Amino acid sequence: MASSVDEQPSPSPARTDGSVGEPVVVADSLSKRFGDLVAVDELTFALRAGTVTGFLGPNGAGKTTTLRLLLGLARPTAGEALVFGRRYCELEDPPRRVGAVLESNDFHPGRSGRDHLRMLALAARIGGDRVEEVLELVELERAAGRRVKTYSLGMRQRLGLAAALLGDPELLILDEPANGLDPAGVHWLRRFLRGFAERGRTVLVSSHILAEVAQTVDQIVIIDRGRLRVSGTLAELTERGRTLEQVYLELTGGGGL
Amino acid sequence: MSGQLRAELLKHRSTSTNPGLFLAMFGLVLLAVLLHGLALPADRLASASDQVQVFRFGSLLGALFAGLVGAMSITGEIRHGTIRPTFLFTARRGRVISAKIVASGLVGTVFGLAAVGVAVGIGSAALAARGIAITLHGGDYTLMPAGGIAAAALWAPLGLGLGALLRNQVATLVAIFLWLFFIENLLIDFVPGVGRFAPGAAAAAMTGLDAETLLAPALGAALLALYAAVAAAAGTVATLRRDVP
Repeated sequence: MASSVDEQPSPSPARTDGSVGEPVVVADSLSKRFGDLVAVDELTFALRAGTVTGFLGPNGAGKTTTLRLLLGLARPTAGEALVFGRRYCELEDPPRRVGAVLESNDFHPGRSGRDHLRMLALAARIGGDRVEEVLELVELERAAGRRVKTYSLGMRQRLGLAAALLGDPELLILDEPANGLDPAGVHWLRRFLRGFAERGRTVLVSSHILAEVAQTVDQIVIIDRGRLRVSGTLAELTERGRTLEQVYLELTGGGGL
Repeated sequence: MSGQLRAELLKHRSTSTNPGLFLAMFGLVLLAVLLHGLALPADRLASASDQVQVFRFGSLLGALFAGLVGAMSITGEIRHGTIRPTFLFTARRGRVISAKIVASGLVGTVFGLAAVGVAVGIGSAALAARGIAITLHGGDYTLMPAGGIAAAALWAPLGLGLGALLRNQVATLVAIFLWLFFIENLLIDFVPGVGRFAPGAAAAAMTGLDAETLLAPALGAALLALYAAVAAAAGTVATLRRDVP
């Protein structure tokens, strides 16, 4: 599986769900202001099913704010943020459509990893079997009874991912998921996300690790100071032998650093 | 029972926050009741209104800690960030707050039950050990525990609403302490006509222990229920309108 992952985009990923053509994620003239600060400025992009999109931009570019708007945790000042054609809070059963990890440490330190997942599963009427399944999937079954405060950063990342996967969602939204993962973990995550998209599902992942992004994603959205700089396929952006890093630094004005 | 409520009850059970609060409350009730019951001179414990000074710590500390349980159930989630997965899994935030009101009300009831039970049991034993006749009336023995437990059940949503408004855990806990142990004492001492309508005084009124200064028990209960409803409603509206931290 890993050997089939190269820098070419998959030409036409299999789309098994019925949503061919309908964008899974839409930001439409999306803006968010905090007082005088414009965090997200008239941002427009759309993601289709079966793709893995890298969401790139410097620190403070508005990536996390955009993800929070898509997930209904923050309200847009103007414009719309839609998943599956609706606002997140209007989804019937959000955890079965969308799985998300925003922060790597959204856990009570004194609660066990298993109880963290169980409390979320109860709220969404997801069975206890599924809790054990996702624990096994992220290889945390042996640590699941321990308090989260004993977990390494990589284990916390995997626990967050396990929570996002509880509802077996069609869309994954991940903010810096590779932070703190060891090389084997990064490799596992890359294969997992590619496999997820090959089954017709969709991934939106923010990251600063461009070399890793170039190996994982097929679509790229780059923003800077809240504004869209480019949105397109990795192949388009890196044609004529340019690397993703060169494109990124050019577009975000960081080339002179 | 709804999944949401079961999720909230699991949150209460799965950390050591509540056992810690419970032990602190238990110790404080024990200390306060024993000090007053054993150290006060016998002639200052003779009348029913004197004996109130021994028993009232059960309902007072039960209400306080129930308020803390309610406040922690939302500010703890904000502090540790679990509020994000919580609202990702249940995007209708009002459902989460409703489940929190019921769950912390139930836990608050347990706290109230324990605090009142310890105060009555240990207080009576302390007085009996010194040969002091208990001069409370028969009716006091039903009203005192029942009122104390109900007051704790109402203080939990009151604390929850305040926590949802203030969001900062330390600020919320300090506000509850300052209000109950400082501001309300000042009000009762200097402007009792106003102080008796305060939420801590309303909780104390429900026990019927101090009918001279405080409101009638039923009135105290109605007033405290009103405070709890207003705080919970304000906390819910704020949670619905504001961005999740």
